[in-house]
Amino acid sequence: VSEELEPRCITCGDLAEEVAIVALEPAGLACCRTDAGRETTVDIGLIAEPEVGDRVLVHAGAAIAKLAPTPERSG
Amino acid sequence: LKFVEEFRDPRLGRVLAGRILAAVEPGRHYKVMEVCGGHTHAIYRYGIDDLLPENVELVHGPGCPVCVIPMGRVDDAIAISREPGVIFTCFGDMMRVPGSEATLLDARAAGADVRTVYSPLDALRIARENPEREVVFLAVGFETTAPSTALTLRRAREEGIDNFSCVCNHVTILPPLKALLDSPGFELDGFIGPGHVATVIGARPFEFVPRAYGRPLVISGFEPLDVMQSILMVLGQLAEGRREVENQYNRVVPEDGNPAALEVMADVFELRPHFEWRGLGFVSQSALRISDRYAEFDAEHRFPVPGVRVADPKACQCGEVLKGAIKPWECKVFGTACTPERAIGTCMVSSEGACAAYYNFGRVRRERVSV
Repeated sequence: VSEELEPRCITCGDLAEEVAIVALEPAGLACCRTDAGRETTVDIGLIAEPEVGDRVLVHAGAAIAKLAPTPERSG
Repeated sequence: LKFVEEFRDPRLGRVLAGRILAAVEPGRHYKVMEVCGGHTHAIYRYGIDDLLPENVELVHGPGCPVCVIPMGRVDDAIAISREPGVIFTCFGDMMRVPGSEATLLDARAAGADVRTVYSPLDALRIARENPEREVVFLAVGFETTAPSTALTLRRAREEGIDNFSCVCNHVTILPPLKALLDSPGFELDGFIGPGHVATVIGARPFEFVPRAYGRPLVISGFEPLDVMQSILMVLGQLAEGRREVENQYNRVVPEDGNPAALEVMADVFELRPHFEWRGLGFVSQSALRISDRYAEFDAEHRFPVPGVRVADPKACQCGEVLKGAIKPWECKVFGTACTPERAIGTCMVSSEGACAAYYNFGRVRRERVSV
């Protein structure tokens, strides 16, 4: 069962989702992609200087933290 | 560690289990509370408790926002959902939370327009697309979810969307922690602190736990090795006689939290003088309401709500579970009258709830070795 299909609380539960910013959109929104490839619109109004490629932690549709960059995998 | 699978490495898990075993003082019983439902879920999903000696007991705290909602608030939500012309929106888990007579799912079956959304932004989009209808969002969650609601209300105002409102049930984590610590007979050795709440509010607000109550608190991530390392850090503090806030999750949690999130929350919300929590009763300044500046978006102003306090069903022991006084399987109706399919208590509804975690991962009393 993939992460995407697992039963999980979609309110707080304090579980957030890590996504990558794919495209910046008007009005403080961004198109983001999960590791499983699902695209979603996220409010990035709480992130300082967001850029395409940034990984952010999303909770209930809003990014609440920018994550440290993940290095490219080798092999 | 860089990639998520590395935080789930069984080899490193065994190493940490060995170090936890070595840190335990033989014959001493340790009770450590994981405050957050996300940690409860991780502990049972990955079987972390099976890697601990018998005398390290994990106690499940009140950190599932669905589980702590009292029945009277669910009744209020159902009453609004039945108002003519209303589209009522909520997160999926709230659909099955029992009120005194029905759930939101029952209300939908009876004709109310109740819809599941994944974020308040989704609810606002529905309002934009249905200008002739009143769209209400049932806002639930701790400081992790509250910024999203606040941003959405600000967005609604900027866009002039006047057919949108919220029933605000946002709660804050620090007052119930204090209420638990003040409870007579409450015995705990330390806390695993909520990592993503700390992303918003920072690590500093938890300082009162070691300073005023002499308990260690380690802010933790949600991968299995995060949780195990945090347990080890709590045991380490106890062994060394230290009592402080440590940040195991420093790859995500900044010391001062997210100032922009705190700013928007301070603008849109105000503290309620008191709020009823399941199991804990009324806790002062433990929840948020929509501030007077945003009063036009407050569904409790826009619609009549019963506002009646409803006692929990007698058979339900969610309150004792939420206080860590009993384990879920010790509840009289666990797994029999109360199951995830037809829950009596809130702790069985949300997958973050302790009862659901025990039920879904087959956890009942197990024999473990004490040292």
